Amino acid sequence: MSERETLIRFDRITKAFGDRTILDGVSFDVRRGEVFFVIGASGVGKSVTIKHLVGLLRPDSGDVWFDGQEVSRLSEEAFFPVRKRVAMVFQYATLFDSMTCLENIALPLEKHRGLTRDDALLEARRLLDRVHLGKFGERFPAELGDGMKKRVAIARALTVNPEVILFDEPTTSLDPVSARRVDTLIRELSDTLGVTAIVVSHDLTSIFGIADRIVMLYRGKVRTIGDRDHFRHTEDGVVRQFVGGLADGPMEFG
Amino acid sequence: MAHSDSPSLVRRLGAGTVETAATIGAMLALLGRILARATPKRFDRRELVRHLEFMAIESLPIVIVTALFTGAIVVIQATPVVQRFGAEGLLGWGAGFGVLREIGPLLTALMISGRVGANNTADLGTMVVTEQVDGLRALAIDPLEYLVVPRFFGLVTTLTLMTVFSDLLALFGAAIAGQALIGLSMHGFYNGIAGGLIQFKDVAHGLIKSVAFGLIVALSSCHFGLATSGGAPGVGRSVKASVVTSAAGIFALDYFLSFVVP
Repeated sequence: MSERETLIRFDRITKAFGDRTILDGVSFDVRRGEVFFVIGASGVGKSVTIKHLVGLLRPDSGDVWFDGQEVSRLSEEAFFPVRKRVAMVFQYATLFDSMTCLENIALPLEKHRGLTRDDALLEARRLLDRVHLGKFGERFPAELGDGMKKRVAIARALTVNPEVILFDEPTTSLDPVSARRVDTLIRELSDTLGVTAIVVSHDLTSIFGIADRIVMLYRGKVRTIGDRDHFRHTEDGVVRQFVGGLADGPMEFG
Repeated sequence: MAHSDSPSLVRRLGAGTVETAATIGAMLALLGRILARATPKRFDRRELVRHLEFMAIESLPIVIVTALFTGAIVVIQATPVVQRFGAEGLLGWGAGFGVLREIGPLLTALMISGRVGANNTADLGTMVVTEQVDGLRALAIDPLEYLVVPRFFGLVTTLTLMTVFSDLLALFGAAIAGQALIGLSMHGFYNGIAGGLIQFKDVAHGLIKSVAFGLIVALSSCHFGLATSGGAPGVGRSVKASVVTSAAGIFALDYFLSFVVP
């Protein structure tokens, strides 16, 4: 694992919203092809961190590197080529309400690959099959459960043939079976397509089930980074409390 | 008392002025960004057609009702005067002049603002707060190009087409009211309109206004939709701001255009 090259680097990122500093010098690397988890308590800035990679947020200071290019100061238009290589699956799936699942997936195919409507719908059906939802193409997002919506959103993210997919809490609010299906899908994408996955999560089963490496954020900074064994055997009380899911311990909130 | 109140009043006026200037500036900047994307290569025609279907065709019933009543009301108000002067022949001219130059474009704009503009703001605002707009950006699809440009041109086109339609219907409503109230024949009413007192410039005057009203409603509804923040209550606030700004803009433009356009 360690011989893999660095693909993404967050370098001393700081970000505040009003008076509230969320990220206070966050630095870590993500390697090509790995399933990398960003963990930490709610509100610690996990989603905020990964949104910097696709330019949905800009850092107050610090750099974001993707494949040897500093991207955080690119204009909105200049970010489009990066977004075609780095797709994002949002926490609430963010499917377009007014379109069926197939149309949701067909839209980026028409826009980016220049496919006709019919060809785009055909390709969308293939992608929907890939996430095991082929039967639900004609449904609208409102008619699907949360787990299905997330899988449709994953299929939509696959339309741009991304090298990296950012998953923002992919298993939050899912039942355990749906959650493990999403985990399996993420692992599958990495193993079969070589997709680099950055997963924001506090789902311990996911973390210890599929992560290659994990970074933990705490109070605006990186607390520790390492593989699953590192987290299982750490002496750090804060990390132990989090991965043990313990109510009492040294962690401070807020 | 007056002393202690005056600073806060001045401050409120100042803050209000700055806020209004900022809104106008942001709307003009949005207009620039929309026009920059309105090239044949970037224009999404299918979205335009989809929005036109929703905006124009589904607005027809309310426009029909409004227009027929508007024409009739103009005649009801004018009837005592024309009867007093025995100038029944001028009823068509009076109704036509008022409807084509003023009442038709104004009321149609207010109706379309309430129905289509408000809906547009709510739609865009909901997409912003549910991260659907960020979802588009993350898919490398420009939200302005895909969401805003077709809505903008759809709204301007809808309002202009609806004004033409509403002008015709309002005149029809006026003719029916003229016949019912003072027994003026349809033919007599038509002569009043086509007899030379109403010219093409009166029709053009109303249509120029309707395009200007379309621009203000489209711009305001898109701007406030995109500027939404703060969840569902934020969508409500945006819709209110959009409708108020559209209405204020329509009346202000109407006032100035009435002077400027012949």
